[in-house]
Amino acid sequence: MNKSMTVMTLSGVSKKFGSFNAVSDVSFSVEEGEVVGFVGVNGAGKTTTINMLLGFTSPSQGKVELFGKRVRPSNAHKSHARIGYAAGDMELPLKMTGRQYLDFVLGQSSDDHTERLAQLTDVFGPQLDKKIGTLSRGNKQKIALVAAFVTEPALVVLDEPTSGLDPIMQDAFLGLVRAEQKRGTTIFMSSHYLQEVAEVCTRVLLMKNGKVVEDLSQKELERSGGKTVRIRAKHKIVKLPPGSLAPTHDEQDDAVITTFTHEGAVPELLRWLAVQRGIEDVDISERTLDAMFRGAYDDGEKRQ
Amino acid sequence: MNSVFAQTIRDKRGFLAGWGLGFLALAGLMVIFFPAMQTDGSLDALLKNMPAALQGLVGDLANLKEFGTYLAAQMFDVRVQLLGGVMVIILALGLTVSEEETGRLRTVLSLPVSRTSLFVQKWLAMLVVIGLTVAMLGIGVLAFQPFINEAIDLWVLARLLGMTWLLLGALGSVVYALGFATGKRSIAMPIGTFVVVGSFIVTTFSAGVDWLKDYEYLSVFHYYPAVEIAKNSAGGTDALVLVALALIPLVLGWLRFRVRDVR
Repeated sequence: MNKSMTVMTLSGVSKKFGSFNAVSDVSFSVEEGEVVGFVGVNGAGKTTTINMLLGFTSPSQGKVELFGKRVRPSNAHKSHARIGYAAGDMELPLKMTGRQYLDFVLGQSSDDHTERLAQLTDVFGPQLDKKIGTLSRGNKQKIALVAAFVTEPALVVLDEPTSGLDPIMQDAFLGLVRAEQKRGTTIFMSSHYLQEVAEVCTRVLLMKNGKVVEDLSQKELERSGGKTVRIRAKHKIVKLPPGSLAPTHDEQDDAVITTFTHEGAVPELLRWLAVQRGIEDVDISERTLDAMFRGAYDDGEKRQ
Repeated sequence: MNSVFAQTIRDKRGFLAGWGLGFLALAGLMVIFFPAMQTDGSLDALLKNMPAALQGLVGDLANLKEFGTYLAAQMFDVRVQLLGGVMVIILALGLTVSEEETGRLRTVLSLPVSRTSLFVQKWLAMLVVIGLTVAMLGIGVLAFQPFINEAIDLWVLARLLGMTWLLLGALGSVVYALGFATGKRSIAMPIGTFVVVGSFIVTTFSAGVDWLKDYEYLSVFHYYPAVEIAKNSAGGTDALVLVALALIPLVLGWLRFRVRDVR
């Protein structure tokens, strides 16, 4: 069995802009073959972290390493030979056609990737012979994604990669990520689409206020996910069972819908439900990444 | 054809065509006006009535009698300095801060392209664009001079064009270096404009304003004495100063660009 290699390491990384801490003391590492989802609300520090990873900016404190080498703006190009990058707001050269741009990207690699280019253009169907400036956002994004994967990089860094893509192209993208995972490619992907993160990522890093507040592997996500409980009752349920958090109450017609996450034991939850009065309906489902995300951002979060 | 250099040249084709045709037209007009300037004695009277401080704008009328010195004094020494200065400010800002503001600089830097290589390749592309634009001045002179039965000494024309390329390359390099060093239009543009306009004012008005003469050496245009170049009396020292003016900010700009944050 091959020994896994650490592709990316961030150690105590902080980034300040004036007095504002965009990223504070972030530490994590990513192993070869992992598909890591990097989630958080706007302004959480995801793009700032990615900028430091790629050497566009340097950390105010701490260090970033890619493939065992420290990344600095002056030497970042060395690791870029093994990295593909695409961002949702990526600016491509508008006067070039998609084909010219991809030729330019391929021109920076010493290997022949003609076959790979053909495969990727089959997947995404980008318009290669029109000037990029005349393309829609989605079509530009297709070219950016082809460019990110075309050189068969060991690590692909994606910042909101599917923003602007239609649902069919999003599926094509997710299929590509799964195929790349099988090939052993490491993928580090920030996204607001938690569904796609849950579908393809083997690990999720949740960022909040410049810090990584959750670092969950797929197994941990499944194991510690808990249940999302939705109760329709005649009155507001104030007292929840032990191990419950982030309750919300919505009034609907003559009833109140109480939704909360239950991380305690299921029998305990069932016993608690059995003695509640005025309950009209109950729905218990697996806690989703979306629910975890909302839970982490719920300022009123408290365990009961 | 997939280098940053080639991509930059390709990207600047429209700029090159626009400014090249403009310079060609300028050269054509200046050539065609020469017979009128040469024979019209009213210019002498006009110049004598002008305030001394403004006489520098017209220059020595003796230079207007000979085709080579006329072009040097009226085209290269006045119009090309200003128009070329504006051109290289636009060009250098376009290659540096505009690329960063739009995010295209990051797109290139996400590829295995080092900052040093990008800096050098774009700078070389800028020099080529400036060189081709300046060459259009020469083509304009050669194309239109048969209409007035004049012929400039090719060696004189080559020297004028060469020094113009050096001058505009140096001015462009200053703005280029500032653009890459700071990534800020609000710094690169005012300083570039100050260097060009300030130099023009100092050199032009120092001919008639005594106290300005002491500071004339600070003007970039002091090292571009077009009429002397046409008369074959300009030394290599001027060229060396222009080269140094280009290289010093370039080295400082490169050192800063290698390590700074790119937006």
